[in-house]
Amino acid sequence: MVIIMRMGATTKEIGDVIQRVEDQGFKAHPVYGVERTIIGVIGDDRPRDPTAYEALAGVERVMRVLHPFKLASRDFHPENTIFRLNGLTVGGDELVVMAGPCAVESREQILETAQVVKEAGAKILRGGAFKPRTSPYSFQGLGEYGLKLLAEARAATGLLIATEVISTRDVPLVAEYADILQIGTRNMQNYALLHAVGEARRPVLLKRGMMSTIEELLMAAEYILSHGNNRVMLCERGIRTFEKYTRNTLDINAIPALKQLSHLPVIVDPSHGTGKWDLVHPVSMAAIAAGADGLIIEVHPHPEDALSDGVQSLRPDNFARLMDDLRQLAPVVRRTL
Amino acid sequence: MIIVMRMGATSKEIGDVIKRVEELGFRPHLSAGVERTIVGVIGDERPLQPDQWELLPGVERVVRILQPFKLASRDFHPDPTVIRINGVTKLADARQKDPQDTSPMAARPQVSIGGDEVVVIAGPCAVESREQILETAHAVKEAGAKILRGGAFKPRTSPYSFQGHGEYGLQLLAEAREATGLPICTEVMAPGEVPLVAAYADILQIGTRNMQNYALLHAVGESHRPVLLKRGMMSTIEELLMAAEYILSHGNYHVMLCERGISTFEKYTRNTLDINAVPALKQLSHLPVIVDPSHATGKWDLVDAASRAAIAAGADGLIVEVHPDPARAMSDGAQSLKPEKFAQMMSNLKRIAEAVDRKM
Repeated sequence: MVIIMRMGATTKEIGDVIQRVEDQGFKAHPVYGVERTIIGVIGDDRPRDPTAYEALAGVERVMRVLHPFKLASRDFHPENTIFRLNGLTVGGDELVVMAGPCAVESREQILETAQVVKEAGAKILRGGAFKPRTSPYSFQGLGEYGLKLLAEARAATGLLIATEVISTRDVPLVAEYADILQIGTRNMQNYALLHAVGEARRPVLLKRGMMSTIEELLMAAEYILSHGNNRVMLCERGIRTFEKYTRNTLDINAIPALKQLSHLPVIVDPSHGTGKWDLVHPVSMAAIAAGADGLIIEVHPHPEDALSDGVQSLRPDNFARLMDDLRQLAPVVRRTL
Repeated sequence: MIIVMRMGATSKEIGDVIKRVEELGFRPHLSAGVERTIVGVIGDERPLQPDQWELLPGVERVVRILQPFKLASRDFHPDPTVIRINGVTKLADARQKDPQDTSPMAARPQVSIGGDEVVVIAGPCAVESREQILETAHAVKEAGAKILRGGAFKPRTSPYSFQGHGEYGLQLLAEAREATGLPICTEVMAPGEVPLVAAYADILQIGTRNMQNYALLHAVGESHRPVLLKRGMMSTIEELLMAAEYILSHGNYHVMLCERGISTFEKYTRNTLDINAVPALKQLSHLPVIVDPSHATGKWDLVDAASRAAIAAGADGLIVEVHPDPARAMSDGAQSLKPEKFAQMMSNLKRIAEAVDRKM
C-alpha cells in the first residue's frame, strides 16, 4: 500500500501516519518528493482497509500495491488449476463446451437438446431449473422437476449437468443432481450463496456480474476458494456498456487478463455476451482464439418457441457448424476439442 | 417509423397524427390495440425527425424502423467493399517505367483491404525520429505488416504531452515508405491540414476523438485518399456508421471502420475491446473492419490475445503499435509491442487467419 500525502502536509501529519503504520505492525517507508510526500507500507496489508488511512489528517489518497485476492491469484499458484470431472478435464489442453437451453422447459425439449448437443461434440449439458428472471412475471423455471429432467438427460446421454443455484437453501438439493453448480451474474456478490457453494463438493461456474470488474470477479472467486472449494471456473458473459445494439458487451480483454491474474479456468458465454444468435459464432471463435478454456452456449431445438433467451439461442444445426469451425481453430491455439 | 400513442389518447389526437403523416407524403397504418393505438408510417422515414412527432398531443413515443445510414449499409450494398491501397502516383510510375527495377518501391505489392487477405498496419504511435521510424518500418515489414502507421499530428489528452512533429513527421514517413515500399497511414486532425497530409499519406486516419468532427469528416470525404475511421471511445456502433455515412456522402467510398475499444467501468484495461462490434459491423455494413488491439487493451501483453480474437471474429485487418524501444517511447509505450514480440505474434496470426479461411 502507498499513502500519498496532500501537498503541504505538515511534518506532524506525516509523523502521525508513520506512527499509525508502525502501530499496525507494518514498516513505513517515506519518500519525500518535490510536491508530495508518499509513504510506502511494507508487509501483507490485504486485511487492512486502505480507505481507513484516508481518514487521517494530511492524507490525499491511498493506493493498493497487492492484489486484494490471494487464493485466486497466479502469484500464489503459478500452475493452471486443472481438474477432472468424470473423465473430462477442465482447464487443461482440452476445450470444454457446455451447451443446452437457457431453461429446462419440458422432458421432450431437454432430451432432444441433450442428444443434439452431444452429437455435435458438447461434453456438458446446461439448462436452468431455477431461473433468476428480471421480471417476476416471467417463467421462473421448473425447480426440482427440472433437475430431475436434467438427471434423466444425463442418464440418456452421458453428458454432465451444469445448472444454476439461486438460493443458499437450494444448494444441497441442486448439488444432489448437478455436476457443476452455476452462480449467475446477478448473484456474483451474493456472499451467503458464495459461502454455501464454497462448502459444497461440486465445481462452481462463477459468472461475472454484468456490472462487476475483473477484480470483483476474482474477489468473488476468492470467497468460494476461501471456504474450501478449489474447483472454480470464471465465466466472462459480457458487461453492461452504453452500446445497446447488443445485449451486453463481451469483454474479450478479460480472457487474457484473467488468465494472467489467476490460475482458474476461464469459460466464455457468447450467448449472453452478445444477446444475438447470429453473433454467437464469430464471438465464440474469438473467445477460443483469445485463450478461453471453454464455452457455455445456449442451444434450443426451436428458439422461436423458447420460454427464455430464444433470440440468443442457436439452432442445433448452427451449433454443429460452430463446433466444426472450433475444431479447426483449436489446434492453432494448441488446444483439443 | 412507428408512433405509439398514449394510453387513452383521444380519437381526435389519433386523427391529427394520421393527418400529419399524410401531409408529409407518407402512408399511415393504424392498429388499435387493447391498451394502446399505434400508427405505422410507411415510406423512407430517414429525413424525418422522430422526436418532433413526440410533440404532438397524445403521442407517447416514436420508434425508428429503418437504419439511419444508407450508403454505409449492407442493405444497399450487399457486396463487401474492397479498398485498394495504391500508394503515391510516383511509385506506380516508377514501376511502369522500369520493369527491371529491383528497389523495394518497384517490388511493392498492391494491398487490398476487405478481401480474403487480413491486412496488418503496424508502427509506432508517434513518429519520433528518423532513426526510430526507419528502424520500425523495416522491422514491421520483415514481420509481414503491409502498411506503416505513425502519427505526425498527435491528439493528446494533455496539452503538455508531445504533440507530434507535424509536416517533418510526414516527411519521415515518406522516407520510410521510400525505403521499405510500405504505404503509410497517418492521422489528420484539422480540415485545413487534409491537403497536406493527403499529399504524403496513403491512408488518412480519423482519430477516436474526431469521429464526430463533422467538418473534418466532410474534408476527408472530399479527398481522394482512403480513410481509416476510428470509433469514438464513447460512441455506439450506429454513431460510427453515421460518421462513415458523412464521409461516403461527400463522395469518398474508401472508408475502413476501426474498432479500438470503448470506455467502460472496467479500468484494469485502458478500454474494453467491443469484440461483438466486429461481426455486428460486418453484418450492418459492407465496409472493411479493422481492429486496434493496442488502444483496445492498453497493455502490450494483452495485444496478442486480442489480435487473435479479432481475426477469429472476422476482422479484415489490424492496426498495431510497435516500437523498437517501448520503455523510451514518447507516447503509448505501455501498449506497444517490441519488434520481436510483433514478429512472434504475426506468425501465430497467420494460422488463425487460415483457420477462418482468410489469408495473411
